[in-house]
Amino acid sequence: MAAEQTQVARAHPFDPDAPVAIDVNGLGVKYSLRFTRKTTVHRSFVNLFSRRKPEEFWALRDVTFRLVHGESLAVIGPNGAGKSTLLQVLAGIITPSAGTVDVHGHISSLLTLGAGFDPELTGRENIGLAGAFLGIAGEEMERRAPGIVDFADLGDFIDAPLKTYSSGMRARLGFSIATSVDPDILLLDEVLATGDQAFRAKSKARVQELIGSAKAIVLVTHDMSWVTEFCNRALLLEKGHVVADGDPEEVVAMHREHSARAKAAATVVPPTPAPAAPR
Amino acid sequence: MTISSEAPASFRSSAVRPGPIGLIAEGIREVASRRRLIGHLVRADVRKKGANTILGNVWWVVDPILQMAVYVVLISVVFQRAPFPDYALFIFAAILPWKWFQSSVSDAITSVTGADRLIKQIQFPKLVLPLASVVAGVVSFAFGLVALALLMALLYPHRISPMLALIPAVGVVQVAFTLALAIALSSINVFYRDIGNLARHAFRLWFYLSPGLYSVDQLREAGDQYGPVADILLLNPFATLFTAYRSLIYDGRPPDWAALGALLVVSIGLVALATLLFKRVEPSFAKVL
Repeated sequence: MAAEQTQVARAHPFDPDAPVAIDVNGLGVKYSLRFTRKTTVHRSFVNLFSRRKPEEFWALRDVTFRLVHGESLAVIGPNGAGKSTLLQVLAGIITPSAGTVDVHGHISSLLTLGAGFDPELTGRENIGLAGAFLGIAGEEMERRAPGIVDFADLGDFIDAPLKTYSSGMRARLGFSIATSVDPDILLLDEVLATGDQAFRAKSKARVQELIGSAKAIVLVTHDMSWVTEFCNRALLLEKGHVVADGDPEEVVAMHREHSARAKAAATVVPPTPAPAAPR
Repeated sequence: MTISSEAPASFRSSAVRPGPIGLIAEGIREVASRRRLIGHLVRADVRKKGANTILGNVWWVVDPILQMAVYVVLISVVFQRAPFPDYALFIFAAILPWKWFQSSVSDAITSVTGADRLIKQIQFPKLVLPLASVVAGVVSFAFGLVALALLMALLYPHRISPMLALIPAVGVVQVAFTLALAIALSSINVFYRDIGNLARHAFRLWFYLSPGLYSVDQLREAGDQYGPVADILLLNPFATLFTAYRSLIYDGRPPDWAALGALLVVSIGLVALATLLFKRVEPSFAKVL
């Protein structure tokens, strides 16, 4: 069932000649349910000889949009609509099954808090490791290290192995590394609640600073106040399709209406076993 | 503001993928541009292995010596059948490279699946993962050579010869073969998690079928009796490698360069095939893990 797409007028003065940051064309992402998590040889032999067709699931289908410099896009939608998959494709983590994605400029995703940390290495060594994973050149990372250490504010723990850290300290270090870059394009996925109260305030300020300096932003969130506060464009995804694209206020209103309708439908119809959403 | 970067800043991601040659070239480019990441991973790996034991990295020296001792007790003392003089050194020349091969490949098998969180959160060339395991293995082999030096200096000084300096040349051939297996198995393990279990048993059988505890001449003699079975066993890369190490360490003679050269060429071909396999399935990693 292909949903109809509503084009809502953009709220902000839109410059059609602004340089393109992200160009998504007919994007589709397909998951084959044959290789779900932890397949064993036994299971796949069973699959091979069973006559069922390999099940497929399109997490995204026919997604097309173009983001230019100066735009900050909020991606909203119900759970399982494909929002996180879209961010993963934009970050280059997932390759499209159909269509193309062109990203112009250096991308930084705050999906990456604390990924790649090695518990045996010290905080300082982990900064080097994270930089290497992100593909940031050695000298560049050395230049940034003092700033990262300062912001994470870990005291002498910075030279202790990561396994001695509390989860809050780990999150602080992850956040400091992830936000130490000045990206052209910033991808955000609701990672903003980290650490204690004081650090949370500090990190929110840092994210706002990044939002101010990035040339284009894509934000995935369930917090509608973020959408209207920080974004000048919104994209509503439902079941992998773009349902609406345009002014945040209007798209948010549409999303509210749709979820209210879904809720009403769910209460009227007796609960049927929904197909499990693949991960 | 521009960020100096080892990864391409702008990129195009498309359902259309390059052909076989393009994929292999892409793999080589990725690895070349991410040398520093491999260095970091190797350092972390070496550090980790030494961290949780009292003897730390000294185990790399002690471990092959203990394993050799087990075989010497079993064959010389229990069965009373040591076929060669200085039998301990004879089998040590095989155990050392075998341990290197086995630990490199086993580490590589879990290298991709072990990095599942990273793969789902950061875009980076996954080829660096099995490669780092293989490079870390080279470091541990270097430690193993310390064990060899100790053994020869203390017990077999009469076997020391200038030929020992050629061990790295044979090592290069072994690295090429190890790399092919490491790259291929690490990608298959993403889809079939049984590879690790299977490999443990396959390795044991493989070692006993290779001329490690016996000589390649004994294998040939058996071939006269049993026919083609022994000939097939002689095609085993470790028949060539063990014999080469043994010429250098035990006999003090130059190895069979022609056989080593042929194995190197085959191994490089296998590395290309393994890289192709890896690059073909790489886009699915983030979805399957």
